[in-house]
Amino acid sequence: MTAWRENSGGMAAFERVMSQCERRVLRIALRLLNNPHDAQDAAQEVFLRLYQHLGSLDETRGYEAWLYRVTVNVCHDIARSRRHSVELADLPEPAAPQPDAYHDAERAQQREIVRRGLRRLGEKERAALVLRDVEGLSTREVAGILGSSENTVRSQVSTARLKLRDFTGRLLRRRS
Amino acid sequence: MSCAKFESDIALYAGGDLPPERIARVEAHLAECTHCRALAQDLRAEQALLSELREDPLEDAMVAQVRQRVLAEVSHTAWRAGFSPRGALAPLLAPAAALVLAAVLVWPRHHRTVAPRIAAASRAAQAEAGRGSAAAHGAAPLIRRVRHHLHRAPAAQPGPPLLVQFVTDDPNIVIYWLIDQKPKGD
Repeated sequence: MTAWRENSGGMAAFERVMSQCERRVLRIALRLLNNPHDAQDAAQEVFLRLYQHLGSLDETRGYEAWLYRVTVNVCHDIARSRRHSVELADLPEPAAPQPDAYHDAERAQQREIVRRGLRRLGEKERAALVLRDVEGLSTREVAGILGSSENTVRSQVSTARLKLRDFTGRLLRRRS
Repeated sequence: MSCAKFESDIALYAGGDLPPERIARVEAHLAECTHCRALAQDLRAEQALLSELREDPLEDAMVAQVRQRVLAEVSHTAWRAGFSPRGALAPLLAPAAALVLAAVLVWPRHHRTVAPRIAAASRAAQAEAGRGSAAAHGAAPLIRRVRHHLHRAPAAQPGPPLLVQFVTDDPNIVIYWLIDQKPKGD
């Protein structure tokens, strides 16, 4: 096994890996936790764990899957410990689009509605959907990260898509 | 078959996740059901919006804060690890500890095992020599005086025994040396 720490020099290798994936980890944490401060805490924990395990990670197998798995697990732990319940009523309504740049604003508003819809999903469904549809990982990769079977992931993704479609449909109809 | 039974498969179909053996059945249903075609269209639009979230901008300050916190913690951890039994300095700790232990044990012993320095000697010799004790407190000169006295002892008469006292640096060690003076010719 070739270890990152042995090959590349501990701190330099760590900083390189962190710079490559810090935004991705933070973005996933943000999607899963719905809270910037919690997402920062999660990302910090993920990278501290990465530093601790850098010597045991296999360079030939890459570290992305490991990083995704740890990110999901850390977010899961933080969500459990803090139990944020973000209700739709607590959030401000998306701003109405201005006539100029209407298309961009409308698109941005739709994305915001989708973000809200993601927040309404259950933890496992949200993790599966974020990894599959936002991050674009394959069903097999998602199954490996979540420690589930591919059939389970398909079921979670399917349910999540339908729930999200119901939510966004309702909200868009209400606005129109 | 009702549309509700197709929804789950349509959700997978829209994202390209439906197993091949189920695709034909779903496509056949979509071809004849307007409601499910609309559902599939909504789901595809949703897919596009979800994939756009991947490009959501993150504030640089937010990323920088995480990086700063992580590097500070890692530096602190590395510093602590350097002094821990598992740290980078660990190989040096055992020899260093052995060295300190050896110094503690050997130094006082070595100090004591130095040949006793003679600090004073021969009260009798001092008395005979009629010299002041203050002048006789140097170690080596006192011994020289004793030898000189013995050398000059009367040849025909026995003299009193000489008491030579060696006082060392260690207050627990005092060496007494009694010397009988016999007349020459015995």
